[in-house]
Amino acid sequence: MKKFVAILLCLVMVLAIVACKKTETATTEPKTETTEAKKLQVVNLVNGNLGDKSFFDSAESGMKALQDAGLVEYKTIEMGTDESTWQNYVEEVASSKQYDIIVCGTWQMPDNLIPVAQKYTDQLFIIYDTEVKVDDKYLPNVASIQYNQNDMGYLVGVYAALLETKSDLTGLNEQKILGFVGGEDSPVICDFLVGYIEGAQSIDPDIKVDWRWIGNYTDSALGKEIGAAEIEAGADIIWGVGGNAGTGAVEACYEKGMYFIGVDSDQEQTLDPKYAAITMTSGLKNVGTSLEYVIKKYLEGDKSFWGTCSYLGLAEDGVGIATAGNFAKQSKDIQDAVNAVKDKILAGEVKVDTAFDANFDYYGLMNQVKSGN
Amino acid sequence: MSNILSSILTTSFAASIIRIMVPILFAALAASVTEKAGVVNIGLEGTMSLCALIAVTCAWKSGSTLVGVLGAMALGVLLSLMIGFFAFKFKTDIILCGIAVNTLGEGGAVLLLYLLTGSKGDTQTVMGAWNLPRVTVPLLSKIPVIGEIFFTNQSILTYVAFICVLLVWILLYKTPLGIRIRAVGENDHAADSVGVGVYKIKYISLVICGLLCGMAGAYMSMSYMTMFSKGMIAGRGFIALAAQAMGRGEPVGVMLSSLLFGFAQALANYVKGTNLPARLVEALPYVVTILGITIYAISTFNKTRKIRARQEKKEQKKAAA
Repeated sequence: MKKFVAILLCLVMVLAIVACKKTETATTEPKTETTEAKKLQVVNLVNGNLGDKSFFDSAESGMKALQDAGLVEYKTIEMGTDESTWQNYVEEVASSKQYDIIVCGTWQMPDNLIPVAQKYTDQLFIIYDTEVKVDDKYLPNVASIQYNQNDMGYLVGVYAALLETKSDLTGLNEQKILGFVGGEDSPVICDFLVGYIEGAQSIDPDIKVDWRWIGNYTDSALGKEIGAAEIEAGADIIWGVGGNAGTGAVEACYEKGMYFIGVDSDQEQTLDPKYAAITMTSGLKNVGTSLEYVIKKYLEGDKSFWGTCSYLGLAEDGVGIATAGNFAKQSKDIQDAVNAVKDKILAGEVKVDTAFDANFDYYGLMNQVKSGN
Repeated sequence: MSNILSSILTTSFAASIIRIMVPILFAALAASVTEKAGVVNIGLEGTMSLCALIAVTCAWKSGSTLVGVLGAMALGVLLSLMIGFFAFKFKTDIILCGIAVNTLGEGGAVLLLYLLTGSKGDTQTVMGAWNLPRVTVPLLSKIPVIGEIFFTNQSILTYVAFICVLLVWILLYKTPLGIRIRAVGENDHAADSVGVGVYKIKYISLVICGLLCGMAGAYMSMSYMTMFSKGMIAGRGFIALAAQAMGRGEPVGVMLSSLLFGFAQALANYVKGTNLPARLVEALPYVVTILGITIYAISTFNKTRKIRARQEKKEQKKAAA
C-alpha cells in the first residue's frame, strides 16, 4: 500500500512538472504572435463575472466589436468576487507586459489599480464608471471614463413622470409616487437618482420619489421585497438600479400589477416575456460603446483621454434610454416630450445636477422628495 | 414614526415577514437536525445555492415544478452526504468540508449556470419564470386577518415549512430514531457502547438536512423569486445557522428565531422608506444576527464549562479511588 501511494505521489509530481511546462509555453506563445500581427493587445479585467446583463457584459460586447472590426485582439479575465485577489490580477497582467491597454471598471477597482499604475508607468490603463486620482491629480497613464448617468436618469424621470400623470396605463394609483430600488449607497447610484428626481419633478413638482437601498447587487429576493415595500407605500412605477438585485423588483411589480424600468442594458430583451411586458423602458449605460469610442480615438492617435477623466453622455452615446419596445407603444405626446427633453440636454438648455459635484447637496434633494415622511 | 407603525400593522407586512422567514426556517431546521446529531454543517449556504439552481433547471427540463423541488432535494442530500463522506470516512475537519461546499456553491453555481444557459447572471432569459403553485386554503382563509396572512395565496412550500417544524419535532422527540440522533449528539461514545451505529445516525441526520436544504433552495428560486440569479442566497444559509443557534436547535425555538430574523429584515425594508440614516437601518438584520450569535456563544460557553466541571469531578473521583 505504501509503495503504491509513493508511486502515485511521484506520478502526480511528474504530471505537475509536465503541466507547468506546458502552461509556460502557452503563455509565451501570444507574445510572439503580437510582434507578428502588431494589433493592439487589450485585456479586459472583470471584477466579478460576466453575465450581469449590465456593464461587464456591455464592456465585453464592446471589446468583441473592436476585435470583429479587426482593430484589437483582446482577452477577458474574470477575477471573481474575491476582492483580495483583484490587485494581484492587475499586477500580473501589467508585469507580463503583453498588453498595450488594460481595461477595468467600477468603483471597487481604483484602490487595486493605483499602486500598479504607479509602479508600471509605461502601461496604459482604462478604467470605466469611476475615476482614479492620487492626491487630487490624475495619473498620466490612466484614462478614467465616467458616464452622465444623471442625464439618463433625467430622461427616465421625465418619462416615468409622464407615464404617472398623463398615460392610460391600467392599475396606477392616485398617489404621485415613483419608486427607486438602488443597489448600494454610492455616488454613481445617487447620480442616477438625482437625475431621476429632477426629471420627474420637471414634469410635476408634486411627484415624490420613494428610494431605498438594497445593500448589495446580488440579492434579487431582497430587491423584490424592497420593491414590494415601496409599492405598499404608494409607488407604482419602479426603477431598479442595482444589478441582479435591482432587477428583482420587477417580480414585485408584476405581482402587484405595477410597472418597472430597467437599467444598464435593454432589459425588455432579457427578461421573461411576462416581466418584459411591464418593463416600460431601460436606462442604458453603454460601457461597450464608450470603450470602443476611446480605443478607436487612441488608434487614431488621440491620447487626450489619458491623464484625465472624461464624461461621456448622450452625445457620445455613452448613456441613453431604450426606445424600441414598450416606449414605442406609448402615446406620441409622451414620446415627443421625452425626445424634446433629450434635445434640450444635448443643446445644453437643461442642466442636470450631479452627485459628483462636491458643492451640490444631493442627499438634501433625495431626502426632500422621499414620500415616507 | 406613526407612519412606520401604521405601515407595519398591515397584512402585507406580515406576509413579507413570512416570505423572508421561510427559507431561513427550512435551513435552520436542517441545521438543527444535524446539530442534534453532533454534526456541524456550515455548508448550508452553498447547498442552498446549488439546490436553487437545480430546482429551476429540473423544472425547466421536465416542465414540472414538482420535479424541480424533488431534484433540489436530491442534490441537497447528495451534497450533505458528500460532507459526511469526507468528514467521517476520510476524517476531514467537518468545518473545512462545509467551507468547501460553500465555495463550491458559489463558484459551481456560476459554472453550472454558464454551462446550462451561456449566461453567468441568471436563468430567466433561457429558462423563463417558474413559480410553484400558490394555494389558498378553503375554510381557513376566511378567518379575518390570520386567514389573509397565512392561508391566502401562499406558496405550497410555505405550508410545508411550517409542517416541517412539527415533523422535525416529532422526529426528534417522539421516534426511536430521534432518541438515537440526540444520543449520538450528546455523547457518541456512550451511544456507540450501547450498539447505536454512530455514523449511520450521523449520515441519516445529514440526509434529512439535505432534504430540508433542497426545499430551502427550491423556495428561493421558485417561490420567492421565479428564477435563479447568481449570489441570490446572499448569506441566508449563515443567518439560518444563527437562527438555529438562537433557537437552541429546538424546532419551535428555531421557528421563533427565524420569525425574529424575518421581522428584523422586513422592518428594515419598511423603515428604509423614511429619512432615518439608511446605513443604520440596513444594519438592523445583522445586529439581530450578532445578538443571536452572542447568545449562542454564551450558551455553548456554559455548556462546555458544565461538561468540563463534570469531567473534572470524574477525574477527582478516579484519583480518590
